[in-house]
This record gives sequence, C-alpha cells and structure tokens, in this order.
Amino acid sequence: MRAFLAGAGLFWPVAAAALQTTPQAPPVQGGTVVVTGPRQDGPVDKDERGLWMQADEAELRLKASNFLITDPALNAYVRGVLCREVGERDCKQARIYITRTPYFNASMMPNGVMQIWSGLLLRVRDEAQLAAVLGHEFVHYRERHGLKQFRDIKSKTNAMAFLSVLPVGGLVGAGLGVAQLGMLGSIFGFSRDQEREADQGSVKMLAESGYDPLAASRIWQQVRSEQEATAAARGTKVRGNGGVFATHPAPADRMADLRALGSAVARPTASDLGAERYRAALAPFWADFIDDQVKLNDFGGTELLLSQLAGERWTGDLLYARAENHRARGAEGDLAAAAKFYADAIAAGGAPAEARRGLGLCLLRLGRAEEGKAALRDYLAAKPDAKDKAMMTMMAGA
Amino acid sequence: MMKGIAAGVLLAAAWAGPAVAGYKLMPRGVPETVRTSGLRVTPSIDWNRVGAKVGRNAEAWTLDGQSLNEITFYAGIGEGETLFKEVGKKTRPLPRFSARMLPPDIVQLFEGSYRVAAQTSLFSVDQVEPTEFLGRQGFRFRYNFTVQDEEVRRTGEATAAVVDGKLYMIAFEAPTLHYFDRDEGAYRALVASAQLGAPAKPQ
Repeated sequence: MRAFLAGAGLFWPVAAAALQTTPQAPPVQGGTVVVTGPRQDGPVDKDERGLWMQADEAELRLKASNFLITDPALNAYVRGVLCREVGERDCKQARIYITRTPYFNASMMPNGVMQIWSGLLLRVRDEAQLAAVLGHEFVHYRERHGLKQFRDIKSKTNAMAFLSVLPVGGLVGAGLGVAQLGMLGSIFGFSRDQEREADQGSVKMLAESGYDPLAASRIWQQVRSEQEATAAARGTKVRGNGGVFATHPAPADRMADLRALGSAVARPTASDLGAERYRAALAPFWADFIDDQVKLNDFGGTELLLSQLAGERWTGDLLYARAENHRARGAEGDLAAAAKFYADAIAAGGAPAEARRGLGLCLLRLGRAEEGKAALRDYLAAKPDAKDKAMMTMMAGA
Repeated sequence: MMKGIAAGVLLAAAWAGPAVAGYKLMPRGVPETVRTSGLRVTPSIDWNRVGAKVGRNAEAWTLDGQSLNEITFYAGIGEGETLFKEVGKKTRPLPRFSARMLPPDIVQLFEGSYRVAAQTSLFSVDQVEPTEFLGRQGFRFRYNFTVQDEEVRRTGEATAAVVDGKLYMIAFEAPTLHYFDRDEGAYRALVASAQLGAPAKPQ
C-alpha cells in the first residue's frame, strides 16, 4: 500500500522543477507590483507567473483525475450559482472542478481553478450556503491572497523550500489531516485577515445577489456541530481551535462575525435560500455521497449530518442511510436499531433495494434466521443482477 | 498490506528507497508459515516477502514490487482488532473485526478500512461469492479502487474464512491494466495451497 503514495510524493518536486525553469518575466517597473483590487487576466509579475506555472501543472493533473465528477448538469448548476454570486464577468475566470472526495473542503488556485469536494456538497444545505462558500473562495482568488501568502512564505523560508510551495488555502485549511488530498497545492491556509476579507466579500456578494447573507454563518455552525458529534461518539475531544479551524479564525468569533456581517447587509430582497433547487441538483448524487460518508467510520458525525438533513421528516433514503450507519458500527443495540430503520425505510418508500439486504443481514445476526433469509430473498428478487448475488443466494438458503 | 499505506505516509520521503527491512525470497515449492499464525502456503513460483511490517497479524509478498503486485496475508485477525495498523487512532479510526460478522460484513469491513486508510471514495466491490478456503466454507470477493493523488486503477481479489473466531484472508491486488490478469493465477495457486495447522517443522 505504500505504493499508493508514489504519485503524491513525486508531484511537487516536478512542479518545483518546472518553476525553476520558468522563463524570467519582464522586469516590473518600480519593483513589486501592488496586488490589490480586482484582478486582471493573467499573472502580473515573476512571482505570480511562477505560481500560475505550478497551478497549470496541477490543473493538468486534475483534469485527468479519476475522481473528477464531470456530470454536465451538476457542473452547470454549480457554475450558475458562482456566476450569480460573483457576477457574470468575473465568474468567467473560474474553472470549476468537482471531485469525489468525501470531506468538507473547497479551494481556488491562483490561475482560476476552483476545486470543490463532494463532501462539501453533501454538507451544504442550500444554494445560499453553496454561494457563500464559492464567493469566499473567489475573494481569495480575486484579491490574490495566494500570491501574498507566497511572498510571505518566501520571505520567511529559504529558496529551496519555497520553490515547492503553491499555497492554496482550502476552505478549511490544513487542519483536517486530509486537506491535501488531490488539492494540488500545499495547503498553507490564508492569514486570518485574509479570511476575514474573504468572509466580508462573500457576505456582501450574497446580499447583492439576492441570497440570504446569514447563510455563511450557518455553514460553520453545522460543521462545528458535526465535528463535536464525531468527537463525542469517538470519546475524543475537538481539539480547541485546531482541526478544521486550525488556520482559520476561531469558530465562535467567526460565526459571530459572519452573523454580524450578514445582519449588517440584510435586506428584504436578499432572502433566497434555494433549498429546493439545491436538493434537486444534488439528488442524482446524494446516494453515492452519503454512502461515501457512511463508510468513513464516523458514526457520530454521520448521525448528526443525517438528522440535520432530516429535520422533522425522515425520508426513506435518509432512514436507509441511518440504518447503514448503525449496521456499519455494529455496537451493542446497533443491529436492532438498524433493522428497525431498514424496515421504516422500506415502509416509507424511496429506499434502495439494498435496504432489504441490510435488513436481512441484521436479522440473521440477531438470530432471526427465517425472517433474515426472507429479506435477502426479497433483495435478490428486487435486484436480480446484484454483484453479491452468489453470496446472498447461499445465505438466503434459496 | 494496508498497513503499508500508513507506513507509506510516514515514510513518504524515503519512498523511493528500498524497503527498510528488505525482501526475503520465498522460493517455489517450499512451504512457508505466515508469521506465527499457523497459516501455511506453498508458492508455485518465487515470491518476495516484504520486510516492512504490515500489521501485527499480517505480512505482504510481491513479485515485482508492491506497486505492481502485492499479496497481503491477514493471518488470524481477532475480535476487536483492525485489519492493519491505524494511522490516526483519534482522527481516522479503522473499523474493527468481530467474530459475529457475516461474510458481507467482512467485505464491508475491508472496504471501510481501505476507504479510511487510503482516504479514497473510489472503491467498489464487484463480486462476492462462496468458495472453499483452508478446507472450510469461505468466501471470495473482487474489488477495484483508486487512490487520490496516485490515480492508478487497481483490481483486487480476497479470499477469506473465519476459523475459531479469527479472520484468515489472503488478498491480491495489482494495477487493473496488465498486472492483475497476469498474476492472478499465481495468487489463486497460493490460495489453493493454504492450510491451517501446525507447521511441519518449527519456523
């Protein structure tokens, strides 16, 4: 399995080598270009040219990734949300890449590559929240925060170290422990001031584009609650402001700031949440994304996520996911609970054929052999081409 | 072998170099015992045992290097144990084996362990079927997966049985392109040779 890391290990040195052979940019009059204000097309100076070079290499790799979700409808939807949030003119600069990565993150590289993980889409509740995230990342890009971070790193480290650096401040920074997964850049995180600037810019754009500007604060509330639920179920602690929040403003401060920012720009015309549109756009992918989440062995986080999604109403697919989550943990009482959720899911309708499979497996393990076998036979009848047909046929005693 | 993922993370810098503990030839026709488990196999061709430790009850073999073909023996995973060593016990705990698990639960344990350790969501189980293993009723499953940041598509096959509450499993995986098909026969031969019991002579 160590072999898996070959690609990751090799990639950045290659990028660094590319940077070393970058042709020198024409000298910039009057020293370093001031990089405030809305960005123009193309890099402005040598530093930025180097960053773009690396980012372009990274983009090539991303384009060929097995993890890319290329579905035109989903990509068009996400682009539409970005364009509404940041404006038609600016959004043309972004190239969106959605990847099947089951954690919460998004980022934007200096060359306009915006990366969004499926785990973020699973957690975001409505279109306004998605717009808040996309807008936040776009402000980092527009204001050239990556370039500023790069210069900051360069001034603090030696030449060899910075050559391999492509700062890409992911939405949740480096603290997740998985943040570099295909993120194609060293996740340095931006400074707190830059994060505040991105928050402010995003909330302002939310209001201007008619979205509820308070959506931004809700995301962090949800993520924080989920993180606490994960830790509680594992008997661990959320590590202070570490973890997801390591490189970002303290969550309590941030939520308060975002609420204050949102309230300040709130207006009657800015109330759109787009929850229905969001659910519809995500619907074809939801079963896969929740399956990815259930298989992460994160019982508490998954359970909280599901109950947040359910609100007052547990639909068949949510009940099925909840049953899977319980069966996967398989602790005392989990199998009985799972069996009930499977049965409820089947009764509610909308659950996949695998609900009968899960029900059968639970019942068999609970010692209810005949009922269990019957459920497995129902599964096979509902899914005659099941991949595990041979095994299930034997277990069903058919 | 999944342990290798963990080891790989820590040893990423040293990856290009030889395995820390080197390889040992497993000559064809000579019975070998996997660790201290009593699981014995007789290779039909020469294999190389990977020196780097895969897990308390596991070891890995290869023909041309682990990125091209790798066999992992899970020799007696006990109640409450993980398949391989956890990278982050607190942040990314692995699912644990239970003797009450049914074959599909064990397939799911395997899948979950891979997904968590390799941080991938491109893992799918393609086939699960009953088969004889270690002279008992066992099962076999075929899977495929890709690891992010590496992107090589791999196919795997594992054959397993639970004996006296312990999980015995031999898994083989290789790049889907060329290597899996080429070496599957050698893997199946190794599985067919597997026996459980006291070795013929002390190892």
